[in-house]
Amino acid sequence: MQPWTLVGVLSLLLAVPDALAVKSHDFKTCSQAGFCRRGRALSARAAETKAWKSPYSVDVSSIAITPDKAVFTAGVHSSLYPDIHFGLELRVHEDGVVRVRLDEVNGLRKRYDEAASWALIAEPKISQDITWTAGKKDIRAKYGNNEVVVAFEPLTVSLLRGGKPQVVLNGRGLLHMEHFRNKKVEETKTEEAAPAPEEGAEDAAEQVVLQAEAEPEVNPRAWFEGETEDDWWEERFSTWTDSKPKGPESLSIDISFPSHGTIYGIPQHATRLALPTTAGDSPTFTDPYRLYNADVFEYLASSPMSLYGSIPVLHAHSADSTVGIFHAVGSETWIDVSHASDKSTETHWISESGILDLFLMPGPTPADIFAQYSRLTGTPVLPPHWSLGYHQCRWNYISSEDIRTVQKRFDEEDMPVDVFWLDIEYADEHKYFMWDEKNFPDPVEMTNDVAANGRKMVVIVDPHLKRTSNYPAFQEASDRKVLVKQPNGEGEYEGWCWSGSSSWIDFFDPNSWDWWKGLFKTTALKSGWSWTSSTTDIHIWNDMNEPSVFNGPEISMPRDNIHYGGWEHRDVHNINGMLFSNLSSKAVQERTDPPQRPFVLTRSFFAGSQRFGAMWTGDNLGTWEHMAVGVQMVLANGIAGMSFAGSDVGGFFGNPEPEMLIRWYQVGIFNPFLRAHAHIDTKRREPFLLEQPYKGIVKDLLRLRYTMLPVWYTAFRETSVTGVPVLRPHYVVFPKDPKGFAVDDQYFIGASGILVKPITTKGATETTVYLAEDEVYYDYFSHHVYRGAAKGKEISVKAELHQVPVFVRGGSIVPTRERPRRSSPLMKLDPFTLRVALSKAGSARGELYLDDGVTYSHEKGQFVWREFTAQTAKKTVRITTKDLGAEKKEEAVDGVALASYNPTNVYAETIKDVRVEKIVVEGLSGKPASVKVEGGKELVWEYAPGIAAGGKGEGVAGVLTIKDPKVLVVKDWTIVIQL
Amino acid sequence: MLLWLLALPLPALASLDKTLGVAPALLAKYSPPKSGAWKCLDGSKEIPWDFVNDDACDCPDGSDEPGTSACPNSTFYCQNAGHIGATIPSSRVNDGLCEPECCDGSDERPGVCKNACKEIGEEYRKKRDAERKIQKTGAKIRSSYIAFAHKEKKRLEALVESTTAEIAVREIEVARLRDIADRTESLSAAALEHKQQSPLYISLTTHASALKALQREHKKHLEREQQLGDILDALRKGYNPNYQDMAVLEAVRGWEFLAGLPHIGVEEDAQAAEAGEVAKKEEEAVEEKKEDEEDDDEEWTAEDLSTGLDDLLNTDYVSLLLAHDDHVQTPPPSSLFNVRSYLPDSLIPQYEGLRETLLSWLEVVGIAGSDAEKSTDSSKARQAFNDAEAALNRVKKDKKTAEEDLDEIFNVQGFGAEGEWKKLDGSCLALDTGEYTYEVCMFEEAKQKPNKGGTTFNLGKFSSWNPSPDVKPGDPAYYEKQIYNGGTQCWNGPQRSVALVLKCGTENAIHTVAELEKCEYQFTGTSPALCLPLDANGNGNGREEL
Repeated sequence: MQPWTLVGVLSLLLAVPDALAVKSHDFKTCSQAGFCRRGRALSARAAETKAWKSPYSVDVSSIAITPDKAVFTAGVHSSLYPDIHFGLELRVHEDGVVRVRLDEVNGLRKRYDEAASWALIAEPKISQDITWTAGKKDIRAKYGNNEVVVAFEPLTVSLLRGGKPQVVLNGRGLLHMEHFRNKKVEETKTEEAAPAPEEGAEDAAEQVVLQAEAEPEVNPRAWFEGETEDDWWEERFSTWTDSKPKGPESLSIDISFPSHGTIYGIPQHATRLALPTTAGDSPTFTDPYRLYNADVFEYLASSPMSLYGSIPVLHAHSADSTVGIFHAVGSETWIDVSHASDKSTETHWISESGILDLFLMPGPTPADIFAQYSRLTGTPVLPPHWSLGYHQCRWNYISSEDIRTVQKRFDEEDMPVDVFWLDIEYADEHKYFMWDEKNFPDPVEMTNDVAANGRKMVVIVDPHLKRTSNYPAFQEASDRKVLVKQPNGEGEYEGWCWSGSSSWIDFFDPNSWDWWKGLFKTTALKSGWSWTSSTTDIHIWNDMNEPSVFNGPEISMPRDNIHYGGWEHRDVHNINGMLFSNLSSKAVQERTDPPQRPFVLTRSFFAGSQRFGAMWTGDNLGTWEHMAVGVQMVLANGIAGMSFAGSDVGGFFGNPEPEMLIRWYQVGIFNPFLRAHAHIDTKRREPFLLEQPYKGIVKDLLRLRYTMLPVWYTAFRETSVTGVPVLRPHYVVFPKDPKGFAVDDQYFIGASGILVKPITTKGATETTVYLAEDEVYYDYFSHHVYRGAAKGKEISVKAELHQVPVFVRGGSIVPTRERPRRSSPLMKLDPFTLRVALSKAGSARGELYLDDGVTYSHEKGQFVWREFTAQTAKKTVRITTKDLGAEKKEEAVDGVALASYNPTNVYAETIKDVRVEKIVVEGLSGKPASVKVEGGKELVWEYAPGIAAGGKGEGVAGVLTIKDPKVLVVKDWTIVIQL
Repeated sequence: MLLWLLALPLPALASLDKTLGVAPALLAKYSPPKSGAWKCLDGSKEIPWDFVNDDACDCPDGSDEPGTSACPNSTFYCQNAGHIGATIPSSRVNDGLCEPECCDGSDERPGVCKNACKEIGEEYRKKRDAERKIQKTGAKIRSSYIAFAHKEKKRLEALVESTTAEIAVREIEVARLRDIADRTESLSAAALEHKQQSPLYISLTTHASALKALQREHKKHLEREQQLGDILDALRKGYNPNYQDMAVLEAVRGWEFLAGLPHIGVEEDAQAAEAGEVAKKEEEAVEEKKEDEEDDDEEWTAEDLSTGLDDLLNTDYVSLLLAHDDHVQTPPPSSLFNVRSYLPDSLIPQYEGLRETLLSWLEVVGIAGSDAEKSTDSSKARQAFNDAEAALNRVKKDKKTAEEDLDEIFNVQGFGAEGEWKKLDGSCLALDTGEYTYEVCMFEEAKQKPNKGGTTFNLGKFSSWNPSPDVKPGDPAYYEKQIYNGGTQCWNGPQRSVALVLKCGTENAIHTVAELEKCEYQFTGTSPALCLPLDANGNGNGREEL
């Protein structure tokens, strides 16, 4: 062993600390958050009390229905506080979604009611044919097979399907909207001894004791609210004190799914896709799932703790149907999950502030839920094509020369890569946009050198602005008064982050928007500073936008900070990160005229973030557990809208051994977003640094990703229109198969029929794959035929280090581009290969979507969208193609119902000569007698005999390889295989 | 530059020259076969001649598509008439980019790239000429290095010769002295053994071994303290004050207090002023302390400990024992032999008589008097022998070093087959990067010195030339990289190390320093030692680019 190798090994050992673990004391548990503690205590009292009855009821006299009968409103009272008024409103949308809103009316203050306005794409259309029928006990509206029922006393709201309750609100009587009240200081009988009421620093517990002594009489509301004013007026955590000037204002609501035993969603948590329980008998987790965007250092691989982003959307699933709910709430929210039986689910949502603004989505299929949720918050954006390539990142590439060298090494090894990334060290003193001129003296030339090979750069811009007058981004924000304010509503909040003393832009303030977008212009502006030392080949990475504040409570911003409109940070915390990346995305989009598709990666996100870019699962650890949970997290984010997702290949922390790195690349190339990233303390691990055979394996994996880019891009088009995620878990594809409900380690890519089971365990040589249907599945690499079963079946497959289990579902046609290139734009004119994986019935279908990949010309009809089909009849297999753009023009593009489509549009003309260079047909029943383009000569082909899809047995399929049929992608044609 | 071929019709491909992209050496294999079937170059398959360069891959080795991108792992040869031919991977053929390697534009379809071989060739030659000029100048310097090595070799050879002669002389002298010492000691061995039973001697040797152990432990602690100090210094400088981790903050503050350092993170000016003050105060404190210490001359200072302890422990205790006896026997005389002073005058005459008898008796028994004389002789002889032997060993060591140096001078793994690196042995190159000055002393060690005060870090000691298994010792590429490793341990990281990457240049200099990953530095620089002489054709470094 060479001496330097020994050093390498030693440093490898040294670089992984003994205990990589989250500092859990930095983050609250439910019992450390006053409102969560109160919410759970309420739930516990309800469980202990036999005749528990919600104090909330509908004031029947106040019921009103709008003239068009679409909206129902009513007053609601709590028997605890007869003088406090609440307003309930129900609307049924055109697509059957029911929106339930409850707010305090004429209260001392106003609850935050704008969360939906940030999440929703538009005010949903109200159904025009709803009739509300009021009875003595309830009011109901029936539409289609659905019915919504509001019971008066106690107040419950139920969504029924075929008469069966699907979603029930307040069925367990846990609804509680803490109304605004004044701090009761004069009631304290020990006035002389008690400190002045404005004594902010007084210990809350002490005050409680004093009051208890002073008021010995029984509190008539204690059965519901508890005996004490538990953390009502001030709250402490570690060294921080939350002044809570508005007092208690939390919202508790139980949401039950009496007919659904499995739930998915409410990302982001490091846990299984099918959510484990947090309450009831022997729960998996003892704390509720928490939604409070947080920068959790070295997070746990299995935990209900909150992470960087929050999407309060939940799917409840059974073999009969799927329903969903979306709660438009931007404050911290905890969700308890339990199952009274295998077939039902109870959830309890406890939020710190805000109104009740719930959307009940009736389904009844997973696809319907995705459509309903997409109509509310939008579909995932169709990303720039290049962003589906390989992204190479590290904290940090230290200079422009470093970037050039890394690019050179990729090219020398002929490994494809599309994007090089710069983390925070490019910026002088972490003043984002401002290049460290010593190490990056020529940022424009550097970017141009990267762009010369068709590549892009992504550069980080974080939301904390260094407080220094020589930093234009800070100075201009300060001058415009668009920074987040201190708790007294004055000045500028100052906290610590990478750049030292920093302030944060308040993106809730519309005055910040155009200014922020201007910063990204690559040309000089009259109105202020702009990033002239950049080019339009630079795209953006938004990190730390939870926001992460190093010296703040829970590494974030104090909750009593003030945003635009006087709202407290607590009201908008979970929305905050989304606005930053959304504005950055618009900024990049609007740099050019006409606009170009932006790429913005965000760490923090909320419902609606999918409209603007990609996310990743944050600072994961280089462990097998994190690799595995990364797959589950990407699936969970996908079903909540964030399809363009991935986890850092290699793990952010640690030095992965070659085996782990290869397995992580196998995971990564089958994530929608593929990026390798590494912490500054780690050894360099760019794939070209690996030794053989590992280097060759990773090269093959990266090339595999690039050959499949047509599959990914086609899947993204569909997702951008339908909202059905790019990565489809089993329950989405086979909603009626209960055996697949908990399957979250294998998935399909869009509608392509590609099934992937990444290996995430050390030393694996084989694995099992679940096949949910009576159909053939072909091994992607060996053409081996496996047969599933109608009842579901597990097959055993090889999974040596160089093997990743990938299958093509019988009945699929998969378009690929097999020619290796340095970057994806260089593949633009390359020919296609079609893999026709025949089903048992001898048929197959697939799609291919193409456009220029960078502009919005597709919204004007400049794209190619083809369907390929194969049919077997009378000993003849016909493979044919047609123009889907012409046939389904109104469904082709997200958000645009095209009125016309021209098959010879400008984009189609640019690829008019692009051909199919090879067709591979798997599963034929025997050697063909002839293979021709219809009306043409015999083609050149080879046939390797093997198993027929329609026959029996397993083994290598019969494979027909047709050499260069010279058929064009933009044209209709038919190939006839005579058996 | 992205050049897209938008409207070129397909038939252009159909008429591709079958030898497009074929390297000259393989041209013969790309001719129409008589049988009509063409064999893939790896012999694995026969295909119709028509399939060659038809933009569809048929051969597993990709040999049927030398001129297209159809096969994933084949290569394309561009002739670059007017310049030098080049081979590129097939992945770069027809990708819309004009490869700089293919100045004739043959890597793209006709009409996409212009033929720039004339300009590029000219530019290349200009650049090559400039490089050759540097190389020529460098090679002259290099030959002076080689001359130095030869001179050095002669010097060392002479040294070996002279030391060999000296060793022979000294060995005889050592043998003679050993003989004397042995003989003297054999006489007194029994006496010595007895003397060594002396409680004083036993106690002394016990003290000595305890002191030795203490010194070892002390050294260990000092090293540990130094390491801890380094770790804490690194923590103090490198910790992220933003992360408000109280444990880290306390550690930093504690260290600053203990080490008398100013608090980091305060405004620079204030910090500097404060640092000055603290330093002054410290100096005063140290001086006061020194004065205190000087009052008590029994107690050793830290400096005494570090310098004097080794000498103390190197004491020859046997010699000391004997010297002690001498001392005891010289005035004031021992009471045993000066009984007279205790006796009343009246008894003296009787005593004198008795003394004579006693002493002669004692002498016979071998305890007192003349025997004491002998033991002093023996220790002196031993001392002389020891000194002579040490001198011999020194000369031997000099010889060995000279021999080793001689071995290294023309060793491919040492100073190079021609000894061209010997001249640079121990010469130091430095680069000031603003915050730090980086220094490498060739074949010795590399350092990082902060320009504004603070700890200098050892970045490692010379370990080897380019250790890559792909490079053979003695190849020019072998000398293009030096590895220095085993430097100061990084907090939460590896031991610091340096890869010094050099190329031919007229000066010995470091040009860039980069910390590509934590605590692993890459220096780039130049040295004339790498400038090989141009060959007869004026070709540089024996390798032709492109």
